[in-house]
Amino acid sequence: MGSEPIERRVAYIGDRLKGSKCPFCGKEYFRTRKYCGNCGRKSLGKMEDIDFFYEKGVLETCTVVREPTNKFVKLGSYIYGIVSFHNGKVRVPGRLTDIIIRSDEPVNPENFEGREVVPRFRRRYSVDRSDIIPTISLAFTFADEYYPYQQYDITKPSKEYDVPGIVGYGVYISRFRIKEGAMERSVPFIDEDAITAAVEAGKLALIHSGVDHRLIGKVYVGSESNPYAVNPIASKVAQVLKLGEEEKAEGVQGVDAVDTEFACKAATSMFKDAMALVYYPRNPMDYVMVIGADNAQAAPRGEPGGELDFFVGYGGAAFIFGMRDVIAEVEGWYSCTSDTPDFWRRDLEPYPRHGGRFTGEPAYFKHIIKAGKKLMEKMNLKPSDIDYFVCHQPNPTFPARAAATLGFKPEQYLPGLQVSKFGNTYSGSSPIGLAAILDQAEPHKRIMIVSYGSGAGSDAYIFITTSQIKDKRERQKFTVKYQAENKFINYVDYATYRRFKEGL
Amino acid sequence: MKEPPAIIGVGRTRFGEHYELDPEDLIDEAGLMALDSAGIERKDLDACYISDYLLQVTNKIGLEEGFMSQILEMNIPIEKMRSFSSALMNACNAIEAGKYDVVLVGGMEKMTDRWSKIRDNLMLLVDHWSYYAGGTPESNHELLLREYIKEYNLRGDDQQKLMTTLAHISVKNHRNAVLNEYAHFRREIDVKRVFAARAEEQKMLGLYDFAPISDGATALILASPKKAKEYTDNLIYVVASSLATDFISYPSRTYRSGFLASRIAMERALKMADISLDNIKILEVYDQSTVLEMISLEDLGFVERGTAWIKLYKNFEDFKGYYDVDGRQVYVNTNGGLKADGNPLGATGGAQIFEVVKQLRGEAGQRQIKPDGDFLYGCVQEIEGFGTKVYVHILGREKGGK
Ligand SMILES: [Zn+2]
Repeated sequence: MGSEPIERRVAYIGDRLKGSKCPFCGKEYFRTRKYCGNCGRKSLGKMEDIDFFYEKGVLETCTVVREPTNKFVKLGSYIYGIVSFHNGKVRVPGRLTDIIIRSDEPVNPENFEGREVVPRFRRRYSVDRSDIIPTISLAFTFADEYYPYQQYDITKPSKEYDVPGIVGYGVYISRFRIKEGAMERSVPFIDEDAITAAVEAGKLALIHSGVDHRLIGKVYVGSESNPYAVNPIASKVAQVLKLGEEEKAEGVQGVDAVDTEFACKAATSMFKDAMALVYYPRNPMDYVMVIGADNAQAAPRGEPGGELDFFVGYGGAAFIFGMRDVIAEVEGWYSCTSDTPDFWRRDLEPYPRHGGRFTGEPAYFKHIIKAGKKLMEKMNLKPSDIDYFVCHQPNPTFPARAAATLGFKPEQYLPGLQVSKFGNTYSGSSPIGLAAILDQAEPHKRIMIVSYGSGAGSDAYIFITTSQIKDKRERQKFTVKYQAENKFINYVDYATYRRFKEGL
Repeated sequence: MKEPPAIIGVGRTRFGEHYELDPEDLIDEAGLMALDSAGIERKDLDACYISDYLLQVTNKIGLEEGFMSQILEMNIPIEKMRSFSSALMNACNAIEAGKYDVVLVGGMEKMTDRWSKIRDNLMLLVDHWSYYAGGTPESNHELLLREYIKEYNLRGDDQQKLMTTLAHISVKNHRNAVLNEYAHFRREIDVKRVFAARAEEQKMLGLYDFAPISDGATALILASPKKAKEYTDNLIYVVASSLATDFISYPSRTYRSGFLASRIAMERALKMADISLDNIKILEVYDQSTVLEMISLEDLGFVERGTAWIKLYKNFEDFKGYYDVDGRQVYVNTNGGLKADGNPLGATGGAQIFEVVKQLRGEAGQRQIKPDGDFLYGCVQEIEGFGTKVYVHILGREKGGK
């Protein structure tokens, strides 16, 4: 049985690795304190807030844990040790994550000690299915491996735009993949889920945009794999990323946060809402964040709904919308909706069901083609006026066929086609494709994105890149290509993939 | 010098698995033995200090004072502490303050009743943030070992010698326990077996490097010096009772290749007893792991820091039953230590005291040591948590002072 107040307090400190710093002698603490042990009373109430969320540490000393405590058993064997920050000013206990260690595999601590590590926001340990999910950032990965250390530098905006658009974005795909035939799919590590992917994507979007996290007015998280039926992902994202102005006394963030659900279009649907909020004439928000993240669900093969198991992926994408330092202005949008039940999951069911052949023509193709055609009509554009096209990617064949039907050529749609690298990341699917295009598009290019959500509907948008897209590009090392073609990718077998997906 | 309180009787149960006994039964057995060996009646008791760590978790029992009152059928003051050394220290303080004359000190634990479940509780007790990060009780000992290896730059052959020394410590403690009728494990092992367990588990420290978890109870009768002499001539003085503390979170400590609290507690104890280390011939250290026996010898001042690994290594080439280090001879963990005697947390310190009292009184039977020179003092180190609280008690056939 968990304790909600304890979970709240541990996560409040541990998710962000909050601490304090003495303004007089510089002594630092993990966990917030009201006074400094060196300076005593004069420091009372004057301690500065610090946190180690965006910091780089060093794994000083470590060992391998092979017989974890009961709540960590599903993690198997793992490296555990002491991580120091700021040249030893602060030391914390930490577990290395994203590493598979076989039970009989020798581990020499000397191979790990002294290396730089980055804190990662993860599930803490296993609890009962009915309990609050514990999280913590005392999980670390090596800074020189898959997930690079990146500073978060808040940048003062230099240019105002007349039209809202994308200010920055981030894509998070896990280190693990399953490869079957020509298709690779991303697999969460066992301590990852839709919540951790949403936070990672949001964090990467902040890093890329340089936007002050305090200026985010609202965050939307679209997902169909929230591990909670009731309890938002967005509140976790807001708290961990400290979105909006922090009200310290109460530990609340001055931000609106909400989860949205409409199968795989849960995030794209909110793009226009986000842009409307930053454009709202009376009381505009500075920035709005939209995240699509999924640990895409599928029943095991052979069971009803098991056909999805060949295509599901894991990951998320976050976009920050605003009116300043825009990298892609919105030109137009169109959405269509019908009551077409091609994919659904009833309450209390663990996996979604799938309408089989019904999902193609009357669902996916009908909506995507309708939305794409209508938007081009509305904007008076031909396919040749559009530089890049990306749509929802449930498998490698559907998006190519949809693109061709709309009149797009491979050079227009291939840059955004990422499904054979990551699988279907559901709410993250077309947004990750859009990000892959933004990663490489030159200024003044026209991009069309058409999402698809079962149930069913499509959102189509046209964006035009600005000259600032190139300026911001160097701020993000963790690009879609970097994650797709990384030498630290770890391929797992089918059994491991299923186990990791089920999580802690 | 003021006369210190004295131990006039000791008792204990066998350590191990006691499926058939409740914690009350265990403390009853140990308490009766202590009363009997002191030659006193229950009605002579003025107060009682008892200790356990986890009965609330393992047996869902709180208010141990109540069942103690019921066992004794008395209404005397009874207080519950965590470790046996803590109970003893509080008993000493009360007697020295003149509050009581005769006190029963008892410790008990039933680790095996819910053993698979208490690992998490044990680690949460050690440090909850380390627990949240995935730490285990064993991993802390391995981190301590790594810190030691790095601090003294032990590589290659030196590191191999260190690991061999640790194996010998386990072998030595198992051998000692063979002669201890109360011990949890009474069988010899060899160095090969210690290494084999490490290799099999693919860990720095294996099964034979760690103390087990045990059930058991221990007790002693502590009396004011005046009262003690009315009962016996064969009394053992508690000439020093000291405690030092350290941060709950091991990673956040500045000194991590040993326990600062051990060093401070020992310095204070020697000052209290007004004796030198040379006067201490027997030492019971809190060897939750073989690493901790080695490092405690350094922390307590018996071996120069950073040298125990090699000095003990040389001792073990031709082991004589005691450590001959830095010009001193000291017998360590003659009862088998926590490793082989067993480790029922709240009772463990009582078994350490039991051993030193028996040895000082010359009542240790086959285990009896006969050190060179005067055999007057022995020392007991008990640790709560991972170096978070360290108690040092110095016991003597004399009252201390040079
Ligand atoms: Zn200070």
